[in-house]
Amino acid sequence: MFKKFVKYLSSLRFTLLLISLLGAMFLLGLWIPQASLVTQDQLVQWKSRSPLLVGALDSLGLTRIYASPIMLGLWALFFLNLSLVMWQRIPLIKKRIALVVPKNDDPETAPGFSFRASYSLPAGKDGEAVVGFLRKRGYAVLGRGERFFAVKNRLSPIAFALFHVSFFFILLGGMLSVYSKFIGFVDLAEGETFQGELARYNQVPKMPKFGGPPEVNFTVEKITPLVSGNTPTGLKVHLVEAGGAVRDLGINSPYHAGSASFVIKDLGLAPLFEVIDPAGKTVDQAYVKLNVMKGRGDTFLLGGFLFRAHFYPDYTIKAGVASTASEEFKNPVFTLLVEREGKQIAQGIVPKNGTLSFGGYQLVMLEMPFWVRFMVIKEYGIPILYAGFGMAALAVIWRFLFYRREVLGALREENGTWRLAVAGRSEFYKSLAADEFKEMFDDATGTVSGETC
Amino acid sequence: MTNLETIFFWITLVIYSLGAGGYIYSFVFKNPRFMPKMTWVIAAGYLAHNLTIGIRFMATGHLPWAGDYESAMMAGWFIIGATLYVGRRNQQLRALATVTAPLVVLMMGFGVMRNPVLTPMAASLKTYWLYIHVYFAQLAFGSYALSMAAGVLYLLKSKSAASDAPNPSYDRFPSLDRLDEFIFRYVLFGFITDTIMIAAGAIWAKDLWGSYWSWDPVETWSLISWLMYGITIHLRVTFGWRDQRLAWLVVAALCTVIISFFGVTLMVDTSMHFFNVK
Repeated sequence: MFKKFVKYLSSLRFTLLLISLLGAMFLLGLWIPQASLVTQDQLVQWKSRSPLLVGALDSLGLTRIYASPIMLGLWALFFLNLSLVMWQRIPLIKKRIALVVPKNDDPETAPGFSFRASYSLPAGKDGEAVVGFLRKRGYAVLGRGERFFAVKNRLSPIAFALFHVSFFFILLGGMLSVYSKFIGFVDLAEGETFQGELARYNQVPKMPKFGGPPEVNFTVEKITPLVSGNTPTGLKVHLVEAGGAVRDLGINSPYHAGSASFVIKDLGLAPLFEVIDPAGKTVDQAYVKLNVMKGRGDTFLLGGFLFRAHFYPDYTIKAGVASTASEEFKNPVFTLLVEREGKQIAQGIVPKNGTLSFGGYQLVMLEMPFWVRFMVIKEYGIPILYAGFGMAALAVIWRFLFYRREVLGALREENGTWRLAVAGRSEFYKSLAADEFKEMFDDATGTVSGETC
Repeated sequence: MTNLETIFFWITLVIYSLGAGGYIYSFVFKNPRFMPKMTWVIAAGYLAHNLTIGIRFMATGHLPWAGDYESAMMAGWFIIGATLYVGRRNQQLRALATVTAPLVVLMMGFGVMRNPVLTPMAASLKTYWLYIHVYFAQLAFGSYALSMAAGVLYLLKSKSAASDAPNPSYDRFPSLDRLDEFIFRYVLFGFITDTIMIAAGAIWAKDLWGSYWSWDPVETWSLISWLMYGITIHLRVTFGWRDQRLAWLVVAALCTVIISFFGVTLMVDTSMHFFNVK
């Protein structure tokens, strides 16, 4: 009973069942909204609209399907199956890659060879010449010209093992990454220095099961967004490390410090505003980081006033409404609503380095630097994971492009002429392999066409 | 789209449609002599297709890699290119265009209805990984499309062979045995390039989004289609699936690829793979 069970666990039928179930779970994950892929607001809305359904899905872990117990169980079985398949296959692979002449090496009667042909050798050609030709074509040849066995891509079955081992590398790298992962978000404006202080992250970062937060020390010197029309075409961030080393980052080129990466996720403005009272005295002054790009609104408190801000990079008035002609920073303008004690007291616009006057007060913009939001990730295991990817890619190329071919050959004397009898077989293909063998032996023997037995 | 691009785009589409119509005519009216001429028609369409891509490249300064219109244009280029390439190596395979040309016409027609506007290259797409990732994705699509086309021809030819009056047009195809192996060969090549595409995409995603895998809908669909072809290979190699079963399987499997390329943008509102070009 137990043996039967283990046999099923190690069967390819079970592999196919698991792959199909995994595929079905992935499809479910596309159909059921996933907590990791929708916003918190959308999730709350969905829960309030269908509490029973969401409760049921939640209890089964289906709103976090990719980390649900069902999915983890399937992955566990998948790797168990993979291990058992490997365990069974390794002796077979060893046997298959051994260079051994088949017991029956007669090309006319050897079983399992789908291609058979016989060629008369022209003067000047002998079996040795054919063997030499095969060697040039990458065949390993056993025997001599009068009787030989040749194999091409003998080691190809190793790629099968390599492909399956690559999954274990991906698993190991992935697990290391999950358990060692630190994730945090930090907004840094031009001129700001960051020394890895946990308190400066936007929210409490996700701490790793082992290891600590990244240890870094750098200053953001310059941020330059590049926009063409409505398309952001680049973002240059110039950093200087504490040691003086200079780093230029951008989208697709994060800042790496050991196992930590600082990936640029967002851009905003951090204008330096100053509030001046009617007597001309500065009441308050601060850099305020505003998340106002792409039409988002933001608020800030300064000098006892609440300001509601919108930003227009290329300010214009369309049908009497503030608008932007493009996303290019051609005419950057803030529109502001000023409130005090819950009452709106003024509204107006502040262009770059401009002023808004309200109730005798003035809001002056002194500078308009940018800030960038970095997603800070520190994790181990990525090189192992990439090694797994590399191995998988290499293995499928090796296995499916450089598949194994075997050839048997024997010289026969018939009516005073020498004839070469050959048989060939290939993995994966019969008819196409027959075409290949025919072409090869036509070439090897210098004949126009072979006589198929 | 510039005016010139629009002109050449429609010329391409019209020529491909004529070619596809010609192939279908030769099957329906059992006129195999008509077929070789259609290869030249498709080749002429491919020339116009190249010009369309070239004109767009001149206008935007980058190859058309992003958005439904550009994806359809490049996928069509790879599929027709692959069809012509295999047809050049083996004349019997020229008729694969019977299936691939209508597929490309439909795809490009869908693409032009979506977002053909000229846009500069978004910052998120400015990396060498884009070229590696998309190039292998398109190679995979091209190869899977050929396997599907060979599958369809296999099904048609086997049906014709079983009938009392076989259609002579099918005599121009490879034998059923060979078609069956071509299906598998294209699946294998597609699987290789698909694997490289996924690996390259994961490496790129780590630098762009901070995570090599995010279960984004496009990622998940591409994994589903990869698994689908993985199952196909297992079924063929281990369980000996051949002939009609294999042919039906590759036809079904291509649907998962089409969904990865175009369907996801229709079904979901947000995907990191929109790259500001939806």
